[in-house]
Amino acid sequence: MITVKNLNFSYTGLEPCLLRDVNIKINKGSYTAIMGDNGSAKTTLAKLMLGLLTPVTGSVEIGTNRIGYLPQNLKNINSQFPITVGELMNCHASIIKLKDRNSITNVLKSLGMLDKKSSLISDLSGGQMQKVLIARALLGKPELLILDEPSTGLDPKSQDDIYSILRRLNIEEGVTIVSVEHNLHAAFKNSTDILSIEKCTVKSSTVPENTTGRKGDRNVRI
Amino acid sequence: MLEYSFMQNAIIAGIFISVLCPMVGAFLVLKRHSMMGDALSHASFAGIAIGLVTGFNPILSAFVFTSLCGLLIEYLRSFYNKYAELILVIVMTLSVGIAITLISTGQANANVNAYLFGSILTVTKEDLLTVLGLSLISGLTISMLYNQLIYITLDEDGAKIAGVRVKLINYLFALLVGATISVSLRIMGLLVVSSMIAMPVAAAMQLNQGFRKTLLFSILFGFLDIMSGLVLSYNINAAPGGTIALVSVALLIIIMAVKKLRTLYLS
Repeated sequence: MITVKNLNFSYTGLEPCLLRDVNIKINKGSYTAIMGDNGSAKTTLAKLMLGLLTPVTGSVEIGTNRIGYLPQNLKNINSQFPITVGELMNCHASIIKLKDRNSITNVLKSLGMLDKKSSLISDLSGGQMQKVLIARALLGKPELLILDEPSTGLDPKSQDDIYSILRRLNIEEGVTIVSVEHNLHAAFKNSTDILSIEKCTVKSSTVPENTTGRKGDRNVRI
Repeated sequence: MLEYSFMQNAIIAGIFISVLCPMVGAFLVLKRHSMMGDALSHASFAGIAIGLVTGFNPILSAFVFTSLCGLLIEYLRSFYNKYAELILVIVMTLSVGIAITLISTGQANANVNAYLFGSILTVTKEDLLTVLGLSLISGLTISMLYNQLIYITLDEDGAKIAGVRVKLINYLFALLVGATISVSLRIMGLLVVSSMIAMPVAAAMQLNQGFRKTLLFSILFGFLDIMSGLVLSYNINAAPGGTIALVSVALLIIIMAVKKLRTLYLS
């Protein structure tokens, strides 16, 4: 689904590189957690995969254009924009040419946000806004979800709900998921693969069957 | 008042401008680029000066030069990513430099004040056709790009990933701002035109509605500002730029006062 070859990256285009000689292959249907310390370039790697940043050298190839994306924080989003949750979802649906507008209701319902459909986004809490952006990412059944810290700002129950939805999408519908994670527990519980970033290099590993919390998750329903 | 053809021209042009300015203004204000309107109205001054000196239609020369400056602002964004206001200073310096140099040579054979302050007497049939043509093209373009513009204004990265051609649409939008300012010049004058892009939106935002309603209220307030300003201008024999600006401020104050009173009453 995603192939990264010989990638080097720095924001200035000069040394020192933030990411050095990165070679990754993310398989279709996998659930990959990107892990690393603060400032280790987890978000940068996700943005490179999304094409929001251009590598200094090397290449990134993505096997689909049906991508759902959740940004790390709300600072790049104009949260004071006078727009209702419903308008935001309809706008996204129009852009991705989604004909079945009932899916807006369904996705908001699955995240417990249906009653906020007419609310202005500026009236939402941080956690509620996070859920709306997750709903936007899930709309239109994307083949690839790239999520940057999906549990940020959410209470424990909401975190559980969201990870259950993500696991179900991954296991039952084969959606490939790449999730930047800051917490080890969530990463091991949900993912099949881990990309760990340390000292500008990325190491890939598979989560062992007996360690992952995904055992028996094929029956998860929301 | 309405029996005079110059007043009919001014009112017809005013109707189109009152729709167009807030439509463009809503996206400009919400992108936090309100001052771009100000920079481009200065750019239009240079365009007018070029038209007056060369004998070309000043509105069209203003449109061409203002649009070029709009594109220049977009182009310079990558050079001054975190200092967007600096780009506006650069464009204003270039434009005012051209305008003052050309006008001070004394070769501009027209009343420059009419372009600075606006005039209801000078809207000719030819101007009216230019205003109608540019307004229709701009209105159609905005309605076609409506969702893309909302997405870019709200979340530029998200828009790119969803497949919106952000760079192209930003350039098209810069052209639209240029067109809007050019068509509004005759009535409002370049000193006030940027206010009419921002003020109706500022008033509508006080109503705390969703985007569609905010846009519709902006257009309604823009219409009220311009029509009341034109009537006032005719009655007190003042330049419409000034009266329209004053009406827009008065309307904003009234809306803010009503909102405050309503809050006090409900609490």
